[in-house]
Amino acid sequence: MLKNGLNYGGVITLLLLTHLSMLGIVLVRGNYQAPQDLLYLALAVLGLDLIGIIAAAIYRQMTYTLDIMLLGILNMSLIFQSCFGGVKLDIKHLITCVAAMVACEIGFLLTRNHEWIRKQKKYIYIIIGILILAILTLTGGRSMWITFKSFSIQPSEFIKPCFVLICAASIVELHKKIKVLFFYVSIDTLCLLAMTVVIFGLQWWCRDLGSLPTFAAIFGCALVCRLCYPRAKINKTAIAAMCVGGVLLAMVAWMLAPAYVQERLHADIWADPYGTGYQQCQALIGVARGGWLGVGAGHGRLAGVFAHESDIVFCTICEEWGLLYAGLTVVMILIMLTTVLMNPPKSYYHATMTAGVVAAFVAQMALNIFGSCNLIPFTGVTLPFISEGGSSMVTCGFLVGMLKAGQSPLFHHEVLRRKQAKKQKQGASAQNGKVSA
Amino acid sequence: MKSIRRGQHLITVLLLLFLAGFGFLIYKLQTESKFYISHASNASLGKVYDRKGEVLYDPNATAEEYGADYFLDVGNLIGDDSKQMTNTLVAQNKDLLANFSFMLGEQHDGRAAVGTTLDHTVNRRVYDSFGSKNGCAVAYNYMTGEIYVCTSKPNVNVLDHYANISELPEGALLCSVFYPTVPGSTQKISTTLAALEHMGYDALMSKSFDCLGAYQNLGGQEIRCHKSAGHGTQGIMDAFANSCNPWFAQLVEDPSWTLEDIEETYRAMGYRLNGEGEQGYFDVNGISAYTASTTLTDKNDFSTQWGCMGQGTTLVSPLQLMVWQSAIANQTGVSTMPYLIDHAVSVAGKDLPRTMTTYGEKMFTPDSAAHMREIMLSNGRTRYADVLPGSDVAVKSGTAQIGEEKTENSLLTGFVDDQSFPVAFCIVIENRVGGVITTNQIASTMLSELRAALDVSA
Repeated sequence: MLKNGLNYGGVITLLLLTHLSMLGIVLVRGNYQAPQDLLYLALAVLGLDLIGIIAAAIYRQMTYTLDIMLLGILNMSLIFQSCFGGVKLDIKHLITCVAAMVACEIGFLLTRNHEWIRKQKKYIYIIIGILILAILTLTGGRSMWITFKSFSIQPSEFIKPCFVLICAASIVELHKKIKVLFFYVSIDTLCLLAMTVVIFGLQWWCRDLGSLPTFAAIFGCALVCRLCYPRAKINKTAIAAMCVGGVLLAMVAWMLAPAYVQERLHADIWADPYGTGYQQCQALIGVARGGWLGVGAGHGRLAGVFAHESDIVFCTICEEWGLLYAGLTVVMILIMLTTVLMNPPKSYYHATMTAGVVAAFVAQMALNIFGSCNLIPFTGVTLPFISEGGSSMVTCGFLVGMLKAGQSPLFHHEVLRRKQAKKQKQGASAQNGKVSA
Repeated sequence: MKSIRRGQHLITVLLLLFLAGFGFLIYKLQTESKFYISHASNASLGKVYDRKGEVLYDPNATAEEYGADYFLDVGNLIGDDSKQMTNTLVAQNKDLLANFSFMLGEQHDGRAAVGTTLDHTVNRRVYDSFGSKNGCAVAYNYMTGEIYVCTSKPNVNVLDHYANISELPEGALLCSVFYPTVPGSTQKISTTLAALEHMGYDALMSKSFDCLGAYQNLGGQEIRCHKSAGHGTQGIMDAFANSCNPWFAQLVEDPSWTLEDIEETYRAMGYRLNGEGEQGYFDVNGISAYTASTTLTDKNDFSTQWGCMGQGTTLVSPLQLMVWQSAIANQTGVSTMPYLIDHAVSVAGKDLPRTMTTYGEKMFTPDSAAHMREIMLSNGRTRYADVLPGSDVAVKSGTAQIGEEKTENSLLTGFVDDQSFPVAFCIVIENRVGGVITTNQIASTMLSELRAALDVSA
């Protein structure tokens, strides 16, 4: 296994202590009707822990830290979601947590070989195209949701990892440039820009403007990586032009934004606490009521407020568990994201990809936490790993898999090629030595 | 590898930016949590007390415990947390009253409380003294700003829990002390101050105009005097005491000053002129009190002259009339700002810092204030000596015509010229005709009761 700053025993102990302490808190302060309710929850959490620990020990990979941390956060999420408004195991959320862990492995397996995944670029474009078509045809109007009876999915969530991958692929390759009007541009860059415009346009058309900053963060990160690329050869004038273009684009977007969006940017929620600012006002009252230590699992009043388990979930956790636990959850997610700093990528593709993944997570966390707490306009996006929602959980799991893949070593054939090159070099120098001797 | 390291740096920057934002969020939540909890529909609140420890608000009050109408005199001033009234002390200070701390969360047995400057006993006496009439009364210490009395009638009994809200008289949910009313001749204080500022004391004292019961102004319009036979030739002292409208119309028209001169003093006193800008308010521990407004367009025109005499579009809140008295009584030209909250107690029972006296901006010169004081004291000595036996009281009365039915409100504002009992006041009786009570009698009751309550010897 690769070195990543934390030993296996330490991570497992931290994981179990966290969950046991949370279950202990539910036992002492929780709002449950019968002991069985808590028992089922404890069995689900500890059972999942056990399976995860055994799997991590048997299925030895390059790194276990991310798997264990993901397991830890998902089980925390399961405890939180199962306690909102009263303790009862949230089976739906349990299933999505398992799905997220499976998606993590899929994401890892698909993206660990940077050479292979880079070559699948055209298929990723096709997948995005299919997802966009599905949104346009199956959602039944300007919506992001496809609903089958009581089951609904949000295909736009799945676009996020695909977008990260095409950003990474388009930036890392050396492009053959063609002349368009007065500019030399590459086909890859044009394709990426076109796809970005299509995705942004789709979000705009569907009035799902909350996800726009997440996509913008991924694209922005990719752009910065592009500018930092050694062979980018981008001059200062081009960078200045990009900045001006970005500002102009933002101004146009502001002018064209729907009235309700513009209103949210400067609305005083306390002026009408029972009007448009109702959710945020109630959320902040909930945070205050919870204080540092919370009112107790299941005793919160936010459980009666719309989207308490998704858009304002951070505040719901603050109310029931206190800012201390809510903050610890955020810190755990951040630590998970910092593993990529402890164990850096070995290829530029993976470096760009992991930067995009971190940007997506950070943007979404900021939108959810700061938005629900009225620091920035409220956009109604999910909190990664914590909010209820299958599409979001699966996507987050897949993105963590990509993060894990970013910590992959160089692959065997590449190592061989390097060894061969080294041998050849050594052989050549030895021959030169003989000749000179 | 360099480019990979740059990617790492980018990740570091993103995470640090988020952490900085999160740190700021924690700080914001920590510092603003009391404000948030004050908006909760069923927040646990502490009690409000008067200056002697009598309860003015108790979230768990019952008629059995306190008496059926115990809170009647302060219903629309102190209020409650029912959200039926928003411009009240409780509604505006729920963050101070909240039994809450971010560290411990809600404390239903917390000790949060607010101590006010009011004297409930005197307040109640004043409220009762209105008898069958409606109106309001307010009194404060013009040196420190402590409000001793503040009551208005009709009022609301919060112990009824608004069961009869549709039957409540109009205005019962608003403390009329803070809301604008037609000031009548009490406006002549402002006009006299403007004249003192721009003509000077000697010039004003030398002015002499005739009153024949009515006066045709330079615009050809007629200004009538309440004394149809007229007051004859008068100087400022007599005209002020007589509240002579023709005299003040001629003063406004006087060529020795301009409309801009009047506007300048009025603006300095906080008037909103001719509908310009937004309506102003001043803050009394979160309670919004309206600032004055009037129309000044042409000093030879009836509406401007009428406005300078406290009729027409002129509106002033009783609180504002009282606060101006402090600038005159202190001879500084600067108002002492009134306050209701003397101190607060935290949820843990710890005394929070007491309220400090604050002052408004300079409105007129100390000289003008001193001369105005003399004019008002002269009026008080000659006509209102019985208001508070043993003390000089400076006063100005007024009668204001209200609405199309021309009902008359009676006003009295002034101050006690006594350093040991520095009280300024304003009293309004609505629809005075046919009543048995006068503003003088209410002032007398209020000041004598207050002097006894504050333990000040005559």
